[in-house]
This record gives sequence, structure tokens and C-alpha cells, in this order.
Amino acid sequence: MSFLPTILNGLMVGGLYGLFGLGLAFAFGIMRIVNIAHGEFIVLGAYIGASLLSVTHMPLPVVIALVAVVTFGLGWALQTVMLNRMIGPNPVPAMVATMGLSIIIRNALVEYYGADIRAIDIGPLQDEGVSIFGTSIGVLPIIIFCTAVLLFVLMHLLLTRTTLGRAFRAAADDFEILETLGFNRKRVYAIAMGLAVTLSAIAGLLLAIRSSYSPYSGVERLLISFEVVIIGGIGSLRGSFLAGLFLGVVQLIGLRINPNSGPLFGHLAFFLILLAQQANLPGLFIRRRT
Amino acid sequence: MTLLELEHVDVFYRDLQATFDVSLKVDEGETVAIIGANGAGKSTLLRAMIGLTQCRNGRIRLAGEDVTRLRCDLLARRGVALVPEGRRLFSSLTVEENLLLAMARARKGPWTLGRVYELFPAMKEFRSHRASDLSGGQQQMVAISRALLTNPRVLLCDELSLGLAPKVISEIYACFDGIRKEGVSIVLVEQDTVRARSASDRLYCLLKGKVRLAARSSTVTPDAIRDAYFGETHA
Repeated sequence: MSFLPTILNGLMVGGLYGLFGLGLAFAFGIMRIVNIAHGEFIVLGAYIGASLLSVTHMPLPVVIALVAVVTFGLGWALQTVMLNRMIGPNPVPAMVATMGLSIIIRNALVEYYGADIRAIDIGPLQDEGVSIFGTSIGVLPIIIFCTAVLLFVLMHLLLTRTTLGRAFRAAADDFEILETLGFNRKRVYAIAMGLAVTLSAIAGLLLAIRSSYSPYSGVERLLISFEVVIIGGIGSLRGSFLAGLFLGVVQLIGLRINPNSGPLFGHLAFFLILLAQQANLPGLFIRRRT
Repeated sequence: MTLLELEHVDVFYRDLQATFDVSLKVDEGETVAIIGANGAGKSTLLRAMIGLTQCRNGRIRLAGEDVTRLRCDLLARRGVALVPEGRRLFSSLTVEENLLLAMARARKGPWTLGRVYELFPAMKEFRSHRASDLSGGQQQMVAISRALLTNPRVLLCDELSLGLAPKVISEIYACFDGIRKEGVSIVLVEQDTVRARSASDRLYCLLKGKVRLAARSSTVTPDAIRDAYFGETHA
């Protein structure tokens, strides 16, 4: 019994986990906001995408683009209407507010869509496979993985090559000085939150295509996001990506060993890494910005 | 012509009143020094001038326009720039990224990347270094260049000499002639009264948040500065 397909599949789920973490880390790194509703936005991405797919029958890339636009608007509005009023040295008000928001979104989803567990069906593509290294692997997971990698690369380019990206990094360093250079802090924050939510919602939609989801999946997704951030570090794209891959692989190997384990093994691995960090052992992917 | 004018300004640092009824003005192309001991309210006054701290009473005018309640980023775009105390470079960005960011929302004007590298030729050598890896003097060059690249009408400089070697301070001050030539007004906040006096056209001395002395730098006597700096008890 070969573990190779399991590992490959784990890597492909892991790319999405990396995106979950990236979104969370982005909001925290730039604005010091811990978005507790992060998991709900991930699930919301799946529901919006599923609705668009079933109502309009548009091709998947178009749906992904639409979900990106809509969720960017949601993140932007969240920051402009609510969180920009709470920025300051104390991170707790924003945490409490987003926690409240997470409850609202979750229950709104239950009210509108019902509490049942769903999966997105996108037709024949779901069953196609190719042979790599002598093992068969789905075309869809490969597409999803490539999308995740593409998003990471785009984020890297944004952060290093554009004024907006430099402004994000500068805002994390010293937002007052950024203001003295003529940047509207609240607008920079709104765009950052829009991007953070977009990344996660797209990842949420892609994950929903290959596994199941319900209005209550948000909590689990949030937990994974936190684990990715803690393992991978806040300021590091590569750290988020590698941490996501790690968790994905561990989780799928765990499922292979015990099909009833759910996400247990991923959490256990995370726990072990926390212990290793406490013991000052060099962690697997620990990277801190200096 | 008066470029920047403060009228009866009270600024608070949190709940503490830092300045009392301060009035001062800066003419176009003029260099004005604000001196005073630690805690005299100099830095807080500068923060008010660029809108980082709102003043509670009084008015601030920029080229005749009332800018008292204007947000910092809007003031910056109208031509106020700050070289902050302790430099405060964006430490995770490279030197050149710091400079590029300043150019992104800049006004039109004489300062370009080429011009600031002319002003500080040494900066070219460490342009791709992280800002956090520089020495204090190098950081100060970048901080001044960053402020200049917004093409300000008035440049606010907070404690340029803080933590720098005397030789480096002299180099930094030497470049100010080149900056003045472009017609920029400069506000220098300094604890070093000798240097502030020799570099400025006029000076104000603050004591416990109040203006104790306003004079032309060329005619004011060291005794007068000393009395205003330390207060009556000294005399």
C-alpha cells in the first residue's frame, strides 16, 4: 500500500490551507486585527460560489472571479463600516466584533441554505485523472493546487513590486509615517482586508469543490488558519504555504490510517510543533520576521 | 509670504497639555528653529503641524488655507513633510522601497530619485539594503530623502542630531543649503541650540509648552536663549 497518492493529495489540500492562513496572517500582520469571522468568510466563499454555479451554470473560472469580486467587496465593507472604527493599540474590540459577526454569518447561512452538509458538483472534470509517477491523481486537485500556487505568486509580486504592496508592508512597520507620505490609512486597511477575505474565500470555494462543507465548517477552517499562521509565521508567504502543505499532508495520512480521524492528526501535529517550540527545538517551518 | 502659521495653538499629548497658546509662523523659503529642553512640547507641536495630533484650540494655516482639522495624509499631499524623531524608516523595506513609497503620492516638484542620490551620493551604495541594517547617519539620509521626495513646501525636521556622531551631524546639516536652494521652508526642532541657531533664520524657544522667545537667529544673544531655555530661575 503506497502512501504516494495520499501525500500528493495532501499537498493539494495543503495549498488551500496555506491560503487560509495567508488571509488571516495578512489582516493580523498589517492591521493587528484578529478576524474571528475568517472561517465564516471561507465558508461564505463556498456558498456564494455554489449558488452562482447552480443558478447561472457559468464556467468555474468565471465563478471564481465573481466570488473574488464579491468577497473583496465584503472584506472592504467590513473594514470600512466596522473595523476601521476599532483600530488602535488594543486588539480585543475587533476580536469581539468579528466574533459576533461570525455568529451572525453562520446563522444567516443556516437560515438561508439550511444546516445540511453539501458538496459542490462541477461535472465530469471531477472524475478525470492522470497518471503521475505511476499513480493516478485527479485533474481537479492539480488545477486547484496550481490555482493556490498562482495566488501565492501573485501575492508575492503584489507585495514586492507594487506601491500598494509596499504600502501594506510599510503600514505594518509604522502606519503614522505612511500617513505623512500622503497615504490614507483607512483606505489601505480596507483594501488589505478585502484581499485577505478574497484569498480565503477563493480557497474556501476550491476546498468545497473537493470536500464537503456546511454552515458550521467555519470554526474548523478558522482553527486550521490559526495553525498555519502559528507554524508558518506571520510575515512569511513561504512559511504560510509550507505550513499549509504540512498540515494537509499530515491530515490526509491520518485519514488514510484511520478513516474516522477527521482533522485530528493535523491538530495533533500542530500540538507537537507547539511543544517543540516551547522546548526551543528548531521547529519544522518556523520562520520569524526579524 | 507666510507659508505656515499657527495661531494660539493648544495641543494635548493624551490628556496632558503639551503646548499653551503657541503662535508662530514660517515664511516661504525660511528656516525656523524651535528649541527647548526635553518635554517643552516641541515634538508635539510638530505632530500638530502635520496633522498626526489634532490641536484642541487655535488655528493652523498653510498658505492662507485653514488646515486645522485636516487629516495627516491630506496635509502631506498639500506639501507638509516630516523627518521624524528617531528616523522611523520602514524597517522591513529596502532603502529604495522606502524612497519609492514616498514618491507614490508626491506632489509635482524638483525632487526625484536622481536628485536625492545627488544630495547623498553615499546612499546609492546601500540602496538595496534593508532599512533596519543601516547606521544612524545612513538612516537619517534616507529619512530626509524620503521626506524630500514628497516635494514638500515645508519640511519638518525633528531632532536630526539625535544619537548621531558630531561629524555625521555636520554632514547632514551641510546638505541643508542644497535643500533650501529649492525654496523649501524648513522647521528645525533641536535640543542643540548652537547648531539650531547657526542653521536657522529665526528661532522660537519653548519652555513648558509656551513660547518664551521669538527672535532673529543672527541677532539673538546666547544669554537670551539661555534664559528662555531654562526659565527665570537661572537668572
